Amino acid sequence: MSENHENNEPQGDGHDDGHHVNYFRIYVVLLVLFLISVAGPEVGELTGLRWITLITAFGIALVKANLVINNFMHLRWEKKLMKWVLATSVILMVLMVAGIAPDVLNHEGRNWQNLAAQAAVERGLGEDDHGEETMLAEGGAEAAPAGFSAASSFGTVCATCHGAGGQGDGPAGAALTPAPANFTDPAFWEGRDRDRVLTVIRDGAASVGGSALMAPWGALYTEEQLEQVTDYVMAFRPN
Amino acid sequence: MGHARPLATSRSATGIPTGRLAVWWILASEVVIFGGLLGVYIMHRIGHPEWAEAASHTQTWVGAINTFVLLTSSFTAVLAHQAAEKGDGKKAAKLLGMTILGALTFLVIKSLEWTNEISHGYTITANTFWSFYYTAAGLHALHVIAGAIIMGVVAFDAYRGRELHRVELIGIYWHFVDVVWIFLFPLLYIAK
Repeated sequence: MSENHENNEPQGDGHDDGHHVNYFRIYVVLLVLFLISVAGPEVGELTGLRWITLITAFGIALVKANLVINNFMHLRWEKKLMKWVLATSVILMVLMVAGIAPDVLNHEGRNWQNLAAQAAVERGLGEDDHGEETMLAEGGAEAAPAGFSAASSFGTVCATCHGAGGQGDGPAGAALTPAPANFTDPAFWEGRDRDRVLTVIRDGAASVGGSALMAPWGALYTEEQLEQVTDYVMAFRPN
Repeated sequence: MGHARPLATSRSATGIPTGRLAVWWILASEVVIFGGLLGVYIMHRIGHPEWAEAASHTQTWVGAINTFVLLTSSFTAVLAHQAAEKGDGKKAAKLLGMTILGALTFLVIKSLEWTNEISHGYTITANTFWSFYYTAAGLHALHVIAGAIIMGVVAFDAYRGRELHRVELIGIYWHFVDVVWIFLFPLLYIAK
């Protein structure tokens, strides 16, 4: 069986005659597991127990992957070195994901809030009532959230840094350098027009060479809503 | 095989044939690519309950058929490896051919699925769920295409009794593509 194997080194690679896997049996087991994972959500729905779905989906995926990796990829008979290389790769990947997890899973912490994510959740759950027609009729996620107003948007999003009165004195703005813009200061408006304000709200100040601390908010709003928020900011401009 | 092999296929300080070592290294980097992508998807999915609505539109039975197709193609790939180890290049080539057929079936089903979804307005820019959906499945599909092409080359040689050890190498890669789908399937079609 091994005379035609490409690897004839004397110490062998533990790979030639060592494994007598019944591949067909493994294949059948994989198919049975696959059928259980497809049936899982049905059972989960009938019994109302979502954890059944999760276990049949991801638990079985792990078992299937394990079967394929060990029996089809023959990792079981591979040199230890290779198992360590792969394990290192998996560990680094898990470390990376775990390191990001707290910031992605949570939308707020002790000193921070992910306003864009919070708004996305709120908007998305609000859309459920209208169902998909709204989403598709609007050609995507652009459906207007019920109850949008420029004033309330400014109050929840912009005022955090720029202050409710637009004076750059919001609670989160105190620690920022450069300080958030004061829209009531005539000096601020020198050389700034409405187009620029709209661009900065939509694409962030960094897009026009300003501070990256002024984040882009374009993903949160439709073009029409951006116009309204811009008008709201323009109203702070002293005559 | 009677003829001398190129030095590079047997020179190896690790005791692992160089080709196989290379394939494992590629897969080690793929673990980070796919693992990172899927990990970030899972985190976002948990943080965004509103994605359930978008996710409910993926077609479970289409994903299920493709899972069956890939599992079967993995089976024929490992049989090809077995045939190659016995020195039966023709049989290995035929089994690789069946594996390529599986890859093509997978891609045809995937294109029909995507065409249907895109025509319903679920495009890659519709929202972040669909963005992840097309990125993850698309990156996987690119791996399927690459695998099918390489298998074609390997099968061409194997049929003539050449480079039989490559049947194992492409097999290892192909099983990895199968393993990625084993995780994509529950994520995008089952526990969504």
